[in-house]
Amino acid sequence: MASAPSKLYADDVSLVVVLVDTNPFFWSASSLSFSQFLSHVLAFLNAILTLNQLNQVVVIATGYNSCNYIFDSSSDLNQSFENGRMPVMCSSLLQKLEEFLIKDEQLSKEVPEGRIKSSLLSGSLSMALCYIQRVFRSGALHPHPRILCLQGSPDGPEQYVAIMNAIFSAQRSMVPIDSCYMGAQNSAFLQQASYITGGVHHKPQHLDGLFQYLMTIFATDLHSRSFLHLPKPVGVDFRASCFCHKNTIDMGYICSVCLSIFCKHHKKCSTCGSVFGQAQSEAASTSDKKRKTPET
Amino acid sequence: SETDFRPSRIVVIAKHVEAFIREFFDQNPLSQVGLLTIKDGVAQCLTDLGGSPESHIKALMNKLECSGDSSLQNALDLVDGYLNQIPSYGHREVLILYAALSTCDPGDIMETIQKCKKSKIRCSVIGLAAEMFICKHLCQETGGTYSVALDESHFKELILEHAPPPPAIAEFATANLIKMGFPQRAAEGSISICSCHKEAKVGAGYTCPRCKARVCELPTECRICGLTLVSSPHLARSYHHLFPIAPFDEVPPFSLNDPNHKLQRNCFGCQQSLLNPGNKPGLLVVCPKCKGYFCLDCDIYIHESLHNCPGC
Repeated sequence: MASAPSKLYADDVSLVVVLVDTNPFFWSASSLSFSQFLSHVLAFLNAILTLNQLNQVVVIATGYNSCNYIFDSSSDLNQSFENGRMPVMCSSLLQKLEEFLIKDEQLSKEVPEGRIKSSLLSGSLSMALCYIQRVFRSGALHPHPRILCLQGSPDGPEQYVAIMNAIFSAQRSMVPIDSCYMGAQNSAFLQQASYITGGVHHKPQHLDGLFQYLMTIFATDLHSRSFLHLPKPVGVDFRASCFCHKNTIDMGYICSVCLSIFCKHHKKCSTCGSVFGQAQSEAASTSDKKRKTPET
Repeated sequence: SETDFRPSRIVVIAKHVEAFIREFFDQNPLSQVGLLTIKDGVAQCLTDLGGSPESHIKALMNKLECSGDSSLQNALDLVDGYLNQIPSYGHREVLILYAALSTCDPGDIMETIQKCKKSKIRCSVIGLAAEMFICKHLCQETGGTYSVALDESHFKELILEHAPPPPAIAEFATANLIKMGFPQRAAEGSISICSCHKEAKVGAGYTCPRCKARVCELPTECRICGLTLVSSPHLARSYHHLFPIAPFDEVPPFSLNDPNHKLQRNCFGCQQSLLNPGNKPGLLVVCPKCKGYFCLDCDIYIHESLHNCPGC
């Protein structure tokens, strides 16, 4: 898909909402340590703020159980004389991050074991989109928003519906979702997100040089992207996985009531309980197929 | 004080039907739409039933002409002929945009209405002039909705209300397993003959998993083997109708001043201050599951567009 077009008003002013993955399960097993990662990211955030005087940056942390705002460059608390707007000299960012991690860990004690160790990407995407809607509401003159997702944790299949909802909402509001995946395997969710919304997805080969990848690929504003040669999406896999075995399938059977995907013919749908081939007894079920003919 | 639709009713209708078609395919990516016109007492097909919005919008952009009487019965007969051919798991609906104040029919329209009812076609009407008994009767018999537009903005509201899918009637909705294919994107630089344009194209298409024919866009039906081809985002677009988000509860004003309630100063979604100037709390809502506080704007956005709660 072509990259997202830029709207009017000062083409190169951007608002970047950065979603930072703070999942302790991922960072404890990663080759890049969290503190090194943070130093790359803070330098990158400073660089964005220096690219244009009106640029804004918001940081949201994606934890294992919860998400929260960590930093907002446009808030009044950051306008102090000595710091200017540089977050790296602002200890409040690191302090808030620490507070968030402590709170997130406390929530872990209440969550049952046995989950894939993924972070709550759907929550942070939703928060980012709510913030961007507020920016849109603030008037005609606003910077061009985009979302940058720095993720290393694997995809959590229970978040599929929520992430797809967020992606479609971003597509409607024309907000591109860029993603930089630092984990081992591929993240199908992030690839689909960047493809559908017109953003850029990249999986860096050498994590030591993360700052360089961030600067060359993700720092430019939307208007200037048309002049650059950015990584193209290769092989975005849109195949579905069947609900029974979670295998990726080429051809499957879809339940006409609840749209669950199965790889073989079943007598009964496991999601909605409808028996195939006879009428339903539940009242409020919606169907995906509808034929309409408007007439004039 | 405009008393009618300007510059002419047909232009206004065409504009809003275009917006409706885009919204409809956004909410129902696996559906098909066809357009009919009623002119000179005869109903004619403007576009066939199809799943791609472009062909319908192109037909609407042409200059549409109106003349003569309108015949509701002929229109319903034509619709019945088309919709009878589709399989039983598909929902059949007609949306009639009616501006005339009478109908000139060749036979008994009550019989036609009974025929539509038996074919399970749900007919809805949006009137542009005045309320008519026959339209009301038609909608009541078949289970559709009848509304009359007061002015242009009201008309736009009414027509967009038909875009999200209505709840299905249980006896009509037989569950079926429909076989569908999930094609992969062809490799860049591969050359094949496209089945829709009948000419050789380079790369950027999809390969049908059953017969390996190339198609240009999804969703579509493979022309060679007839398999419905979709991609997982198309199915995912409808999931929010099936797993809707719970409505948020309003926070009663007296509990805001309760010292035991630790009130968040900012909206959980957008970080906007929840206090009006003067430190009085404004209107808020709370999510019943995660107990996060949200401002009203976030509430509207979450329930209409996002369908996810940021805290859950």
